[in-house]
Amino acid sequence: MNKNRPVNLNLGAFKWPITAISSGLHRITGILLFLSIPFWLWALQESFTADGFVYVKGLLSGIIAKAIAWLLLSMLAYHIVAGVRHLLMDAGIGETLEGGRRGSYTVLVLGVLSAALIGVWLW
Amino acid sequence: MKMKFSIYRYNPDTDTKPRMQDYELEVEEGSDMMVLDALLALKEQDSTLAFRRSCREGVCGSDGLNMNGKNGLACITPLSALKGNTVVIRPLPGLPVIRDLVVDMAQFYRQYEKVRPYLINNDEPPAREHLQSPEDRSKLDGLYECILCACCSTSCPSFWWNPDKFVGPSGLLQAYRFLIDSRDTETQSRLADLDDAYSVFRCRGIMNCVDVCPKGLNPTQAIGHIRSMLLKQGV
Repeated sequence: MNKNRPVNLNLGAFKWPITAISSGLHRITGILLFLSIPFWLWALQESFTADGFVYVKGLLSGIIAKAIAWLLLSMLAYHIVAGVRHLLMDAGIGETLEGGRRGSYTVLVLGVLSAALIGVWLW
Repeated sequence: MKMKFSIYRYNPDTDTKPRMQDYELEVEEGSDMMVLDALLALKEQDSTLAFRRSCREGVCGSDGLNMNGKNGLACITPLSALKGNTVVIRPLPGLPVIRDLVVDMAQFYRQYEKVRPYLINNDEPPAREHLQSPEDRSKLDGLYECILCACCSTSCPSFWWNPDKFVGPSGLLQAYRFLIDSRDTETQSRLADLDDAYSVFRCRGIMNCVDVCPKGLNPTQAIGHIRSMLLKQGV
């Protein structure tokens, strides 16, 4: 007899409600933003000198670099909005099933909107 | 009308790992049966199929299953509520599988035990009984109805990753049920037991628990109330 019991934990076979998606995205964007901190600090330090500023500016005007910057800024915007929602939930606002769904939906729409606005501002 | 089922199978005597097995069931047109009735009919085709059930009316909490990706009680989930051509039935996620759809609930019960799920009153026993005002009694509504089916805790990622340290939505709902009971005198020590980084605070507000609870309860809110109580006590 096989004593090692298997565990059913197939995340792809699990149905995620919208509240889980908004919360998961908050977590994922948080990790990616944290990992991007060294780059932003480096870019900030570089840009304190006139030559360095021109160098960083040139670096960030490439299409790929710009796309990455757009992605990171969009993630930052989403992370802030979703973070505020979690703070409101800690204060007891939006903790019902309906309230949670509405909050998640609002946060996702605001995230897409701010990504679009950041895109307009960058290009 | 033929309905297709894909069911998680695992027999510890013969299998080294679980597999999905396909079944077909003739369902009368226009009729709507519960998933549990379908499972019982499939068991007539294949008597080796194992699952738990008892009251068949959503009271005992034995037949918590993952149906088309969502946890729920098979006995009160109609087939019509499950979309798609094939109904996929898997055991509750995150708990060790004993056989087929039967999971080992020990981890779940251990967390339940931790919150001391019984009334503690250290005052002198009253002459007749501990009285409670209707207002105080109504604070238990939405908490006492939990049937411990484990649908919520096994849908919770925080519980999946830390089933030994995070009490989980079900246990915390029960914890709050006794924290808010006006007849209980152990509020302080109950809060002290929960005052660490894991027990309560591993809840990330994902709300899978609220989404799946077959009794329509709200563990997220109960957890929020416990946090507020801990906060008030701390300042």
